[in-house]
Amino acid sequence: MDIVIYGTVNSIVFALIAVGFTLVYGVSRIPNFAHGSIYVLVGFLTWSFVNDLRMNYALAILLSLTIAAVVGFIMYRFILIRLRGMATSEIIASFAVSLVILEGLRMQGIGGFKGFIGPFYVLRPFIEGKMNIWGVFVDFQRLIIIGGGIAVVGLLWLFTHHTKMGLSLRAIAQDERAAMMLGVNSDRTAMISLSIGSALAGLAAVIILPLGSVTAEAGYKVLIYALAVSIIGGLGSWAGAVLASFVIGFAMKISTAMFGAVWESVVLVGTIILILLFKPSGLLGKQKELEERV
Amino acid sequence: MADEFLLQVGGVSKAFGGVQAITNLSFRLFKGEILGVIGPNGSGKTTLVNLITGFVRPDSGKVFYKARNITGLQPHKIANLGLTRTFQIARPYDSLPAFKNLIVPLNSPRVRRTRGGKLGDIEAVAIDMLEEVGFERDARVPYKTAGSLPLGYLKRLELARCIALKPDIIICDEIFSGLSMSEITSMIPFLEKLHLEGITMMMIEHRLRELFRLTDRVMVMNFGEKIAEGMPQEVIENKEVRKAYLGTETS
Repeated sequence: MDIVIYGTVNSIVFALIAVGFTLVYGVSRIPNFAHGSIYVLVGFLTWSFVNDLRMNYALAILLSLTIAAVVGFIMYRFILIRLRGMATSEIIASFAVSLVILEGLRMQGIGGFKGFIGPFYVLRPFIEGKMNIWGVFVDFQRLIIIGGGIAVVGLLWLFTHHTKMGLSLRAIAQDERAAMMLGVNSDRTAMISLSIGSALAGLAAVIILPLGSVTAEAGYKVLIYALAVSIIGGLGSWAGAVLASFVIGFAMKISTAMFGAVWESVVLVGTIILILLFKPSGLLGKQKELEERV
Repeated sequence: MADEFLLQVGGVSKAFGGVQAITNLSFRLFKGEILGVIGPNGSGKTTLVNLITGFVRPDSGKVFYKARNITGLQPHKIANLGLTRTFQIARPYDSLPAFKNLIVPLNSPRVRRTRGGKLGDIEAVAIDMLEEVGFERDARVPYKTAGSLPLGYLKRLELARCIALKPDIIICDEIFSGLSMSEITSMIPFLEKLHLEGITMMMIEHRLRELFRLTDRVMVMNFGEKIAEGMPQEVIENKEVRKAYLGTETS
């Protein structure tokens, strides 16, 4: 029973982390290597708003998420727009943004800034306490993760299937050239996807971070998790991302229960290698399609 | 024919690496006409379409649409000015129901502007439009995902998506390719209807017999150059055209 509940929580953590990354890649074909840094940025912003500015918790979260969306917007509008279509440059540029944010947060000394270093930065759980589910004690924050994850995926599904903006995002995701010929502005959809994707990274942060403390290092870990989910599920595939999250989430918890916690990352990397060996496009990824004649 | 022209391509050239895809090509598209563009494979027809619609920037030369220079403009801007195209390989949004494929163009800035923001029930409009290109209404076809439709429907869907944009010019890139004789025969009336409604068309086509039923003017390309232009009959009599198509100098 432990494995079922904690495996589910762990899987949804992965899904929450990966969903924004997948959205950005699916719509704009930009591998957003700044994803993890925005996750951490929102964690620290929320912490600062609450502890330094004595802001209301909910308001602090809302403000941080808005800032995350603005950061995503700026990142596309002023940097990525010029590199669009050159995947390697996109990776380098977004990773540079990531380094600036993460290392900036750790920097000490300038203007008396002490830098976010050490395990003191803890976000409060939304609701304290725990409850007994079929003999296992689960704290409320983990239940919120489950509920939040389902809500995020559900709302995104509604957004992309039933709203005008969502449909044009899907149109661009499925076939950029055809969508452009029907009057969809590809830069605008990319900008929207980066804003939403960044806000989703932030949302994942405020839901997940109360389980531990906020550290800059987590940014790199989150990026690796998002990449792992994308590789296993297939880049840009929604269903693939959710499926992959559950594969990794459960594989890690099962291996921990059977062989001990040190095996977690071995299993993660092992899964990636197996997928790359047997289905390089990921579980639900598509192979490249036939090109048009000149 | 009115001598007012909608599109003017002036001396465009484009090379991909060392390959000269288009060399100094000029032509005009007159308002309300159907211009056929033919030529052997690799003669630069699709590149020409890409040049006009903004996917490829010409190395030299200019494209004017309604007396406005659209060279190097982004594709969505050109589309919103009223110039759109179909694709050689049908590119519907596979996982969307057929009628939802039309909601994207129906929400484009162009359509919202011309209709003053009000469309009524947008889904009903989309389904009506599909009926216009020959989708049966009470059949459940418009609700099926586009990916599950047979090619004949996909080509019609492709055309309907363009019409939804209320364009002035539609460029059809091999809209008959892959269709059976009877599918083509049933498609032609819809194209004729569009023509009567005043939409200017440019048709890239390999099926000459069917093309000639629709067009009154044809341009022939070979190795990226225009080798002939004129009425269908005189064009196929042209020696150079015969050489390009048959590879021999027959009379």
